[in-house]
Amino acid sequence: MAAPTELFCWAGGWGLPSVDLDSLTVLTYARFTGAPLKVHKITNPWRSPSGTLPALRTSHREIITTPHKIITHLQKEKYNADYDLSARQRADTLAFMSLVEEKLLPVLIHTFWVDAKNYVEVTRKWYAEAMPFPLNFFLPGRMQRQRMEHLQLLCGEPRPENEEELEKELYQEARECLTLLSQRLGSQKFFFGDAPASLDAFVFSCLALLLQTKLPSGKLQAHLRGLHNLCAYCSHILSLYFPWEGAEAPPPRPAPTGPDTEEEPYRRRSQVLSVLAGLAAMVGYALLSGIVSIQRAAPARSPGPRALSMAEEDEEE
Amino acid sequence: MLRRSICLATAEPWPENATLYQQLKEEQILLSDNAASLAVQAFLQMCNLPIKVVCRSNAEYMSPSGKVPFIHVGNQVVSELGPIVQFVKAKGHSLSDGLDEVQKAEMKAYMELVNNMLLTAELYLQWCDEATVREITYARYGSPYPWPLNHVLAYQKQWEIKRKMKAIGWGSKTLDQVLEDVDQCCQALSQRLGTQPYFFNKQPTELDALVFGHLYTILTTTDELSEKVKNYSNLLAFCRRIEQHYFEDHARGGISVRLS
Repeated sequence: MAAPTELFCWAGGWGLPSVDLDSLTVLTYARFTGAPLKVHKITNPWRSPSGTLPALRTSHREIITTPHKIITHLQKEKYNADYDLSARQRADTLAFMSLVEEKLLPVLIHTFWVDAKNYVEVTRKWYAEAMPFPLNFFLPGRMQRQRMEHLQLLCGEPRPENEEELEKELYQEARECLTLLSQRLGSQKFFFGDAPASLDAFVFSCLALLLQTKLPSGKLQAHLRGLHNLCAYCSHILSLYFPWEGAEAPPPRPAPTGPDTEEEPYRRRSQVLSVLAGLAAMVGYALLSGIVSIQRAAPARSPGPRALSMAEEDEEE
Repeated sequence: MLRRSICLATAEPWPENATLYQQLKEEQILLSDNAASLAVQAFLQMCNLPIKVVCRSNAEYMSPSGKVPFIHVGNQVVSELGPIVQFVKAKGHSLSDGLDEVQKAEMKAYMELVNNMLLTAELYLQWCDEATVREITYARYGSPYPWPLNHVLAYQKQWEIKRKMKAIGWGSKTLDQVLEDVDQCCQALSQRLGTQPYFFNKQPTELDALVFGHLYTILTTTDELSEKVKNYSNLLAFCRRIEQHYFEDHARGGISVRLS
């Protein structure tokens, strides 16, 4: 009996089944095709088999990490949402995925991880609350640095005086990309007619993250809200394929306690350890600074041992 | 890839002495830069705008964005196909005005596909495939410079490109996987072209120019990549058609190698 295929991905939040773009894409695709996956929604990337999220562990114990490769694997396992597409539509899929990757993705990364207000108030807050101690102290910062580096490599090194101009141009191209997607979608339910395909999974995950999250600094969000067919498209997919995620919106507050109850033994252990460490520090400080001194206490105590030995002699007698 | 757009002047007419700068054609220019330069030349030909091609060994450093080719028109300097298309549009010439909204979306998407897959594959072949790097790239890239500058510049560029490949996930790909991606891309382009003369039926657009630039360069200068392209007869016919229409007719001599 082959082991079930398991998917490890970031947990849900902000009204979405997952807060991470790649995890959301894979989850959506799995829902579209009805692939029987055992989904583990976790908040600790070190618990995933590959150390990063999302990760797919196939029935042959192979680990796959990139969303493209995960979807290709699912397609090979006969869960192919693109099966009914014509060759021309498949060509269009490749083209529009390239468009989204080149124009929209960098700006999404910028909006969530580089823009100072968004990062501090939304992204870092969620990750720091969700991750277990002590990862929440350094992992969000590391993730941000990785993404900034990635962005710089993609878009070129910005000279200090050009940074704002570069940012404006990035956002301008992203807005154009959204408008193009809206024009391509038109009034259809999905990009290729009535059934969802892999392109829908990619586009939906980008749009859903932008739309659903309450961003303090949401320039792209405002533009997206103006494209009504894209908003309808998002809410349609959410209500059809993730109907209980909307109800999960109150549970995000219990959700941080969810992983908390799991981590309780670790938490108690770390609490006990920290109390012991505090005590040891206090006693050590007291001894070292002379508040409690063994030497001074020794002559004072010397009658003590004598008294004790006398008591012992009395006892012996 | 980000294109930096230059502040555009008011619509002055296109001057007669407009020039396009690229690296030295015989000794220095590499696959990807040749493809980009050819794409711009084809686009300007399709718009019926005269352009003179000038080869300079430091074209890369002269360019405002660091990428070739760039054009010098009046007192404006614009580099890369995207900004050049916008610049030409501001002067009142455009190839894509007749397209409707959905077609424009498709055109932009397919242009991104070519940049995402074909251009990246060319860069991979040039800088990450050890055999090609040793035999061709190092020799060509540093050829105008004395030793040891030629080695230093080539290593520096290779390191930069390798970092970028790693960032976009191509660093761990093998040559076979890259060839497969090129095949997928050509298949998509072939599907989209179908039996039409150009991608959007009767009139060529900037997409046609871009595809021509890349495919023609691949067909005339590489072995493994061109095998993949040759599988699609409509793409071959497309390249021949544009070569005959826009390059032989005008006897520019910009392309010295003919398609077999």
